[in-house]
Amino acid sequence: MTDKQEISLTVNGREHTLAVEPRRLLVDVLREDLGLPGTHIGCEHGVCGTCTVLLDGASVRSCITLAVQADGHAVRTVEDLARGPDLHPLQDEFWDKQGLQCGYCTPGMLMRAVEILEQNSDPTPEQVRQQIASNLCRCTGYQYIVEAVVAAAPRLRGEHAWDPTIPTEAKA
Amino acid sequence: MTAVQRSAPPVRQQDKTRTWVGKSIRRVEDPKFLRGRGGYIADLVRPGMLHAAVLRSPHAHARIVSIDTAAAAALDGVHAVITGAQAVELTEPLPDFGPDPAKLTWRCLAVDKVRYVGEGVAVVVADNRYVAEDALSLIDVDYDPLPAVVDPEQALQDGAPLVHEPMGANLAYERTFDFGDVDGDFAAADVVVRDRLRWHRSGGQPLETVGAIADYDPSTGQLTAHTNSLSFTSYLFMVATTLKMPVNKLDIHPVPAGGSFGSKLFATKPLVLAAMCSKAVGRPVVYLEDRVDNISNCDHHGSDRVYDVELALMRDGTMRSLTIDTIDDYGAYMQFGVGHHGNALAQVTGPYTIGSVRYRVRAALTNKNQQGAYRGFGSEVNNWMIEQMVDKAARELGMDPVQIRRQNFIQPAQFPYFIPTGNVYDSGNYDAVLDQALELGEYDRWRAEQARAREQGRYIGIGLITAQERSVFSATEFWFWFDEPGAPVTSMPESVTLSVDATGGITATLYSGAFWGNSPETMVAQLVAEEFDCEPQDVSISYHGSKGGLPATGPGGSRTTVMLAGAVEGASEKIKAKARRAASELLEADPEDLEWVAGGFQVKGVPQQRKSLADIAIMLHLFKHSFPEDMESGLEESRVYDHPYTTMPSADRKDLGVFYPFMGHACHIPVVEVDIETGQVSFLAYAAVHDCGTLVNPRSLCGHIVGGTAQGIGTALYEEFVYDDEGQLITSSFLDYSIPTAMEVPELRIGHVETPSPYTPHGIKGGGEGGRMMAPAALNVAVNDALAPLGVRVTELPMTPDRLRAAIRGAGAERR
Amino acid sequence: MKPPPFHYSSPTSVSDAVALLVEHADEEPRVLAGGQSLVPLMNFRLAQPGFLVDLRRVAGLDAIRHDGETLVIGAMVRQATAEKSPEVALGAPLLAEALHYVAHLPIRNSGTVVGSIAHADPAAELPAVALAMDAEMTAVGPQGERRIPAAEFFQGPFTTSLGADEILTDVRFPHRSGGHAFVEFARTHGNFALVGVAALIGVEDGRISSAAIAVSGLGPTPLRMPAAEQALVGAAPEGVAVSAAVDAGSAGLHPAGDLQGSTATRVDIARAYLRRGIERALDRALDRR
Repeated sequence: MTDKQEISLTVNGREHTLAVEPRRLLVDVLREDLGLPGTHIGCEHGVCGTCTVLLDGASVRSCITLAVQADGHAVRTVEDLARGPDLHPLQDEFWDKQGLQCGYCTPGMLMRAVEILEQNSDPTPEQVRQQIASNLCRCTGYQYIVEAVVAAAPRLRGEHAWDPTIPTEAKA
Repeated sequence: MTAVQRSAPPVRQQDKTRTWVGKSIRRVEDPKFLRGRGGYIADLVRPGMLHAAVLRSPHAHARIVSIDTAAAAALDGVHAVITGAQAVELTEPLPDFGPDPAKLTWRCLAVDKVRYVGEGVAVVVADNRYVAEDALSLIDVDYDPLPAVVDPEQALQDGAPLVHEPMGANLAYERTFDFGDVDGDFAAADVVVRDRLRWHRSGGQPLETVGAIADYDPSTGQLTAHTNSLSFTSYLFMVATTLKMPVNKLDIHPVPAGGSFGSKLFATKPLVLAAMCSKAVGRPVVYLEDRVDNISNCDHHGSDRVYDVELALMRDGTMRSLTIDTIDDYGAYMQFGVGHHGNALAQVTGPYTIGSVRYRVRAALTNKNQQGAYRGFGSEVNNWMIEQMVDKAARELGMDPVQIRRQNFIQPAQFPYFIPTGNVYDSGNYDAVLDQALELGEYDRWRAEQARAREQGRYIGIGLITAQERSVFSATEFWFWFDEPGAPVTSMPESVTLSVDATGGITATLYSGAFWGNSPETMVAQLVAEEFDCEPQDVSISYHGSKGGLPATGPGGSRTTVMLAGAVEGASEKIKAKARRAASELLEADPEDLEWVAGGFQVKGVPQQRKSLADIAIMLHLFKHSFPEDMESGLEESRVYDHPYTTMPSADRKDLGVFYPFMGHACHIPVVEVDIETGQVSFLAYAAVHDCGTLVNPRSLCGHIVGGTAQGIGTALYEEFVYDDEGQLITSSFLDYSIPTAMEVPELRIGHVETPSPYTPHGIKGGGEGGRMMAPAALNVAVNDALAPLGVRVTELPMTPDRLRAAIRGAGAERR
Repeated sequence: MKPPPFHYSSPTSVSDAVALLVEHADEEPRVLAGGQSLVPLMNFRLAQPGFLVDLRRVAGLDAIRHDGETLVIGAMVRQATAEKSPEVALGAPLLAEALHYVAHLPIRNSGTVVGSIAHADPAAELPAVALAMDAEMTAVGPQGERRIPAAEFFQGPFTTSLGADEILTDVRFPHRSGGHAFVEFARTHGNFALVGVAALIGVEDGRISSAAIAVSGLGPTPLRMPAAEQALVGAAPEGVAVSAAVDAGSAGLHPAGDLQGSTATRVDIARAYLRRGIERALDRALDRR
């Protein structure tokens, strides 16, 4: 029974039935079997959070989750955030605030941030900082990530639309 | 060697009216990363691609008696197993800029013995990484363990186990430089402050490891590779030599790097392993390190130094001279020699008018992974060392830490200022930086707060440091160590091609693997937009592979923006020259009567007589017969921009010449509180003011300052690659190697002073490393300031709870 | 860093799961709940089970319920679920507080309360909580069900008295009155702690009436601190008693030194955190937080 197991995953709203070796990590199945390279591998022992995806809406480390454990569940990855040409408000704000440099931790950060704002639609910067501490970023020192998540909150509450014509320094 | 002594480049008048340089535009790199379409090395898949995994040594030092690979090779899905001994047949030693590569030989896999935990012993090629790792566990290596040498000072003692027997000793390099009249200055000094300092090794640890895909085509003999490492495009012949192939058959394509911080600089080993495997199996092979590979075998550990330092001063606090005696623990190999100390020598006396310096460096070989590059490349250690000495001097002289620094500053009128080593500081205004930092950091308020807290038994410390931030290295620092260097190269160029298509759209082509988290595309887009009055987002950027590419060096030493700016400026001049001539033909006007205005050429004073760049471009592309015979079709120009300010070292090395001229400066003021019961350090505030010359994108520079500071916080408090007495690496994963989370990094207040460089386009200086060049020094000063009432002075980084508690216990500070 | 191959089954009942453990006894079978400790170990290939019994499809293991004066947490209850549960907040506030310190939310979203206890990491939070609360583990094996008191459960680092053919189906936390506190010292946020302190202190009529204190990170298993408890019980809830308890509790400690801290440092930190934990629990008992 290292034989492949048949599992069904709903990934970004699309249902997949596939046969996987039970040892395959969810991150590898997403990247290799389903062609979704946005979920990255950083440490493969659950510390860095680069591989964070949402499983039934809750953030998990896909590098320490066996794909079979996700059988029958819904997975959401960074590829599900933008709608065609339109970025998700979090993506807009990460861009606007320069909440990324090398971009490698960014998908995991974004998915964690989705969960943070779903659990608290109006967090303080301190709350965001504490919550986002689940994910490592080696480039930014986190400051602009925190700013981006805080800035996205009112947009996700539908309070005002983002105006891409206003440069960052003018928004301060 | 025939070297032409070059003098300083002409001083530029820096134009202050800029449209795009200086604006915090959104980075043009970002949309793909935000969508998860970064195209990192792990995202690239070649048809038929196989996966390689490396068997790591579990021993710090051992002879390899035998390796049995039969079971691994027989495993279903395994295509090849190559041992170190077999690799000797397939490859030459790896590219190496260090001393004596013939005796201190570095290869992609260990051959007769292993020299550190994690060193590669064999590589497996299999259908996928899972099977490759299965096969690794089936390889049977018979080791004969040898005593390990771990401590750098013990390594230099007689009788220590030898890391490389042909060297005859573990002292791989030693030299003492004397710059100026050290003995005279010490004799004239009133006070000598001495200390012994210890900086342990940490590393960049980008969240993406190093990897390469190699695809060897036996029919053409061409090797096509993609890798997130390698720069020094001009030096790729060294890789070709390692692979025993002609350099014109090697084509390396850069891939975005998921972070580097230096640690992906010229990381040749993964590429060589992948290439060797691809040649062996005739299929594309990817080798991508896992985290344990990266921590234990990345060849990019940071500096690991013991210092004995003496600072000579007058009683009024005037600094006269400095003697530095350092042992640097290089680990088992020395790919970049002691270049890290060249970095130190670029700014060895800090922002101060210290008149002379003696610098003794000894490089020790030990059973550890070797040093490479980590944000600062050794100059951050020097900053820390000087600032600890200045801080100690202030305490011993009973002086205010602000005043002792201020009164020794090089003054604005003294620039360009040559320091004793011969390097130049191009420009600066250190008082302005200090003044802004004192205000931004609310220095006086925190001093009052500190006094109140002390009365309540709380230990608050304010760390004030003022230090240098060198940028844009030249090649000489790699070899001025040697009286008769093997390769006294002098080129470290960067190139850009600008192509204007028939519709006037501009494409900029870059020639090195320039992206590793910095913003080369944004920088180029802003610089091109500045030149041609277009929108930055309308500039298209592409990266050229190495084959047929122009000379390029790539990022490192905070050089990218300055060097790209020079190349963009040069290519733009050429484009405009041709466009001017074309416009003069089209407008039937003298070229001298034309002026560039708002994206086109027009007759001076006659705006109606005008051709936009697009008007000119379509003519040049499609209407050859509208122009004189000698004008070629199209509108494309390149510029190879060489280092703008390098001078040769003197033969006696009393003067190292100019090799790191664009000198930034910063003042950091962290405020910390130490829980003396546990040794935990927490932040109350943090202010940082930097002067990196003219800013191109202020927000992206701020991002580098915060990010670098976060890494400096790691170096100061959390991060260390710890090898135990037997040479076992006991921090081989992120479980033990602790990287700061958002909760360990404070919110920074950031300020800028802009003192333009007189020698670079727009007056830009590099700024990618500044945060990490300052934070360790500032935090050590802060912690010592907090613990001063207990009589505790910490001289070793990282300042872990264990080290702080030991120091506090040692001082006899009572617990509750 | 990929897991080694293993055989796998996801049974739908506890009895089937036990039967699989018995059937595959010679393949070093392991039980998989959330996998947040086991899968990393497998990625490092430090754990190489030949057979994995995944509890995810076993019905009835994901319940949090009260059984009289006992809070019962099923084997598949995620830490994040327990953390948010009003039942846990009411019935075992010490557990609720400790859960905040378990790694980070993405780990707690998958990791289970019972799995963490079964993993028996001596530095982990939940085993110390189980010990302080005198929790009982419900183990089901081929011979049926038995209850193992926490005091008998933790045998050594990552070692418990659970049989190789047994499965922990739930952990039972008796309701405890008085003040609670969980405090811990970790070098970075969410990292493994050097020292954790779980304290439950009752105060009646101006005297400390009960005390249960357990620590993590200071020995091969979580440790109860009977000497500290004795120093508190019967004393006035004041600083003198706290100091006596800290002295008594730390007197016998001799934690092994390691990378994170020498023996002396760990004792220093243990003393500081014993004091902080006891003070917080006392404050809550006296409702003066």
